[in-house]
Amino acid sequence: MIPQLATVRYRRPDGRPLRLYIPILPVLLVLAPLLLPAGLVACVIFRVDPVGALRGAGRLLWALPGTRFEIEDGRTAFLVSVR
Amino acid sequence: MNEQRRQILEMLAEGKITADEAERLINALERERLDSAPGAAPRSKPRPRYLRVVMAAADGTGGDGASRLNIRVPIQLLRAGVRLTSLIPPQALTRINAELDKSGVPIDLAQLKPQHLDDLIEHLDELTVDVDDADTKLQVFCE
Repeated sequence: MIPQLATVRYRRPDGRPLRLYIPILPVLLVLAPLLLPAGLVACVIFRVDPVGALRGAGRLLWALPGTRFEIEDGRTAFLVSVR
Repeated sequence: MNEQRRQILEMLAEGKITADEAERLINALERERLDSAPGAAPRSKPRPRYLRVVMAAADGTGGDGASRLNIRVPIQLLRAGVRLTSLIPPQALTRINAELDKSGVPIDLAQLKPQHLDDLIEHLDELTVDVDDADTKLQVFCE
């Protein structure tokens, strides 16, 4: 399943929260004209098979839903969640 | 001999499928028969989908609160990450091996195939790590 939404939450030490909701697919589509050539150049430089790299990146992206990273230290907290 | 098995053997005799394919098909039929048999043994427990790391630490420093860590990583993500190792170019592996050797870790990464790492991830479901300290509790497990 392709990830749909990434949520980033950050609570600053003074208690003020910051929330970011990132729709992954639209962001990827917008950034595709930059990401694809950059990836291709990187593959050529590092002599990596571009098709394999694309497949690997796709697999990583597809496996992302359900990932959650949450860290809390005193009044500071940081959360990244992908669904 | 049931009808499906006979069809598979006929396809093999006619050369439509190879012996390996016939064996796979017959095995699949066997599995299907065992699964659908009445009174069949219940299926084993569901495969875990996530690797969890949970840590809770009391505030032992006189600071302003306790620390907590909660990480949930899909096993599928670990598997996808492991498969990326097959993209490492051979010249990079040679350099890594040389550096590891220089540091006193004589491990040949070229011998580490994605299949081996895949097997490792496959058996992660049996992993449980519990660390209990006076102020800190750490758990690593699959769910």
